[in-house]
Amino acid sequence: MFFLHELEHTITLHPTYFNRDIHELLTNKLLQTVEGTNTGNYFIICVMDAYDISEGRVLPGSAHAEYTVHYRAVVWRPFKGETVDGVVSSVLTNGVFVDVGPLSVFVSRTMIPAEIVFDGNATPPQFTDNADQVIEKGTHIRVKIVGIRAEVGQMYAIATIKEDYLG
Amino acid sequence: MLLRSPKNLHYPITVTELLQQPHDDVERFAPLFSYSYKSTVTEGNEFGEVFQVEKDWYSKFESEVDGTLVTWKIKKGTVIASSGAELAVINEPCRHEIQFGGMCAECGRDMTTVAYNTSTRDTDRATINMAHGNTALRISQNEATKAEDEAKRRLLASKKLSLVVDLDQTIIHATVDPTVAEWQQDPNNPNYEAVKDVRAFQLVDDGPGARGCWYYIKLRPGLQQFLENISQLYELHIYTMGTRAYAKNIAKIVDPDRKIFGDRILSRDESGSLTAKNLQRLFPVDTKMVVIIDDRGDVWHWSANLIKVSAYDFFVGIGDINSSFLPKRPELEARPPIKAAKVAESPATFEPTDGPPIAAAESATKADATQLITPPQSPPQTNGDVSALHQLVSMGGGDDLKKLKEQTTQQGEAIAAQLEDRPLLQKQKKLDAAEEEANQAFSQEEPDGGNKDDTHNDLHRHRHNLLQDDDTELEHLERSLREVHHAFFDEYDKKLAGPKGSRVAELKGDRSAKKRSADELEIVPDVKVIMPNMKQRVLAGVEIVFSGVVPLGIHPQNSDIALWAKSFGARVSESVNKKTTHVVATPIRRTAKVRQAAKHPNRIKIVDVRWLHDSFTRWKRLNEEPYRIHHEAEENGQTAGDRSIFDVADDLAMLSSSDEEAAVTEDENEKPGLEIDTVTPGELEKLMPSEPQDDDSPIGGTNEDWQGMNDELAEFMGSEADSDSDSESDGDSVKSNTSNQTTESRPRRKKRKRDGESAESTEAEDSDTSTSSLKGSRLQKRKKRAIDRTTSLTNMATTDKSSSLPSPDTTGADDDEEREDGGATTDDDDAALEAELEAAFEEASDEED
Repeated sequence: MFFLHELEHTITLHPTYFNRDIHELLTNKLLQTVEGTNTGNYFIICVMDAYDISEGRVLPGSAHAEYTVHYRAVVWRPFKGETVDGVVSSVLTNGVFVDVGPLSVFVSRTMIPAEIVFDGNATPPQFTDNADQVIEKGTHIRVKIVGIRAEVGQMYAIATIKEDYLG
Repeated sequence: MLLRSPKNLHYPITVTELLQQPHDDVERFAPLFSYSYKSTVTEGNEFGEVFQVEKDWYSKFESEVDGTLVTWKIKKGTVIASSGAELAVINEPCRHEIQFGGMCAECGRDMTTVAYNTSTRDTDRATINMAHGNTALRISQNEATKAEDEAKRRLLASKKLSLVVDLDQTIIHATVDPTVAEWQQDPNNPNYEAVKDVRAFQLVDDGPGARGCWYYIKLRPGLQQFLENISQLYELHIYTMGTRAYAKNIAKIVDPDRKIFGDRILSRDESGSLTAKNLQRLFPVDTKMVVIIDDRGDVWHWSANLIKVSAYDFFVGIGDINSSFLPKRPELEARPPIKAAKVAESPATFEPTDGPPIAAAESATKADATQLITPPQSPPQTNGDVSALHQLVSMGGGDDLKKLKEQTTQQGEAIAAQLEDRPLLQKQKKLDAAEEEANQAFSQEEPDGGNKDDTHNDLHRHRHNLLQDDDTELEHLERSLREVHHAFFDEYDKKLAGPKGSRVAELKGDRSAKKRSADELEIVPDVKVIMPNMKQRVLAGVEIVFSGVVPLGIHPQNSDIALWAKSFGARVSESVNKKTTHVVATPIRRTAKVRQAAKHPNRIKIVDVRWLHDSFTRWKRLNEEPYRIHHEAEENGQTAGDRSIFDVADDLAMLSSSDEEAAVTEDENEKPGLEIDTVTPGELEKLMPSEPQDDDSPIGGTNEDWQGMNDELAEFMGSEADSDSDSESDGDSVKSNTSNQTTESRPRRKKRKRDGESAESTEAEDSDTSTSSLKGSRLQKRKKRAIDRTTSLTNMATTDKSSSLPSPDTTGADDDEEREDGGATTDDDDAALEAELEAAFEEASDEED
């Protein structure tokens, strides 16, 4: 789910950048460093604005200045039980990997309806019910997330298509 | 899941009550049964006295998993004595057999949590990593077996096998040298023909110093056809030590429709090891239907599934750009001779009057250029002088983070250096210069050049190209793979026909289809058996001795080429003996072994390395005639005077570190000289044919015999025998005693060697040069004397031997006595010779003083 979230980020700046454009520079640096990252719980999709940039504070002993930037960003946090759309990125015997934006979600074979079976002879390999339903690389698919685990800078999710209106 | 008593209880415990009944649903951490245990505690009473009291304590055992209780393995009153006893069976709703990133892919539970009573971690249930492009997905053994069985059935149904394909130097050759792009732009460049179909791509995220560098990929000739044909018979997988991005790009080039490889790409990012390739990574359960093609056997530990192909070395001197992580390549593949020979041929075809001088000069320069393959800027790739220890270190250190970083930087450096140094351009320049000289020589020789300019241009165009596009490996490889496929399915059909027919007759086929398919999988023949069988036949009965082929510092038995030859059924021995059928040598150097072998032109064939290589690629024992070298080798063997400048160059090329070089060249020089000693008297020749009857006698006895004699001789030689070179030879002789095959000829030689050495201990290592250059000198005289002495000793040795033969089971001590007797009585000469020897010996030591 998407949220507008207020966040805080600390930037250290080298003395060579101390001039008039420092605010612009800080904003750019903020965009560069935080946009598209994964904090472990959510993805920072887009920085809306940096609404508060603190006074710079020169760090004792290093001459670098430290700024604390408060900003608002659009973040995406997947939840357990959430239904999302994605694109199949690879098909294995054990299931398929689905890219949901920045998150790679695994849909296990047991989470795929029993009538859709793996066909390894097809090139590329696919899951199919031998009728109109084919899951192969590039297929758009709607999945429901059943589990999420976060590590530092990484997220793993598993999902199912074994319910109505999924797949 | 079967619950067992955990380690951390106070045993023995007594079960007092079962709290759950079969078919009850059990929650995690719910109490299953209560128990009591005894323990001593310290108690005090109101008077301040302290007692040790044994007391009963009561506790409850809690379930570590949830599910349904199936049966109890214990009952009330059971005493559990130790950990590991069976307690109960609980049926879990989910066995967590497929896990993704630490989560069960079926129920979504976090597998990494560990509770106070966890006995086995949930993550341990699924440890096998089977997917090509992902390391986070893990499955259990069960699931892997299931998946693999399914895949096997599918392959059997479509009559295919699996083929694991390596990229670098097997089906392609890559370089980052920008010279290639320049050559591609310039149709006039001599290399244009060869490089015009080189493909290029850019990788943005590569090592330090080379961001966004371009990679130039040369496909092995005939690759498209090969892949298309082979993909009819095999399901192809890529397994490379390059990065994933690199592998993907290559796959895009060789297989643009993704029909051949699909997504079956495994790169070093997912391999799990940076130093070795492991078939279990892709086929965890069973590798019966898998064939590997790779240019390196060592990374696969010479697996039986492997077909080793000759490395494709198109960009001369580049090597494998992704090999800095691998253990260092143990040796150079000896391809250069082909090129040398090729170039030697080519002028002759273009210009018949273009006599041998140029051809010789040509091949010389060419050989020179190719010998210098070891480029100074990429030491990890092609160095020949890798000690076993170093290799071990680099293999063991593969997982070490620091080492990894170092290696990454190393690779980055190698790439940067290649970008900067442009080894190809340098080589081409060198070649040009050399050819310029050759051409000048040519024009001086034949000044009447009406059409000289024409020929010159002609030669220019044809002879200047550094890169040669003449590889035919894939054709032969395809044939071999077809044969393997054929053999496999023949075997399978045979097996399938057998039991099925009988079963149908017996039971009219009322077995379930499922059962039958399970049987089908059982009778699948094993590639690991079929293929080695086919290969073993190729060089069966061939006994090879390598000479001047295996770089020094590597044990001949463990060298790449020896292992390769062994996989084809040949046997490799270290010295020329009665069983030897082939001596594999280099054409540019006539070694002692070659000279020795040349004495038996009918039995021993002296061949070029190309014979081996070509036989390997064709899977056929080729006719040796076109590969024979040193035909003209004379009976007596020449003195080492013909060790020309090439030998030195050769040595230099093979050893790049100077200290080792010093050590080894000494060794090299020493050997020929000493073996000349043994050979020149012609004794060996006389002895050799007469010996076969000795061969049947128990060798153990003679071994002891020799050992005893060695000891005796060492004693006899006294302090002088302890010189440096001597201890070395001592070690040698001990070694030779351990290997039965070589005992016949070697100890004798060693002894003579020792004798000779002690007499002329100072100049032993230079004896070859002394014979050739310092004629009539004092050294020469001494040497002659030494030869005489050795000859006599040989006589003695043989007589001794014959005398001790009748009682082969005697112990060493008895043997010694007997020999002394025999030496004195059976041969009068012997005593006299011994005396003479002693006299000469004293004289020699006098002279030295």
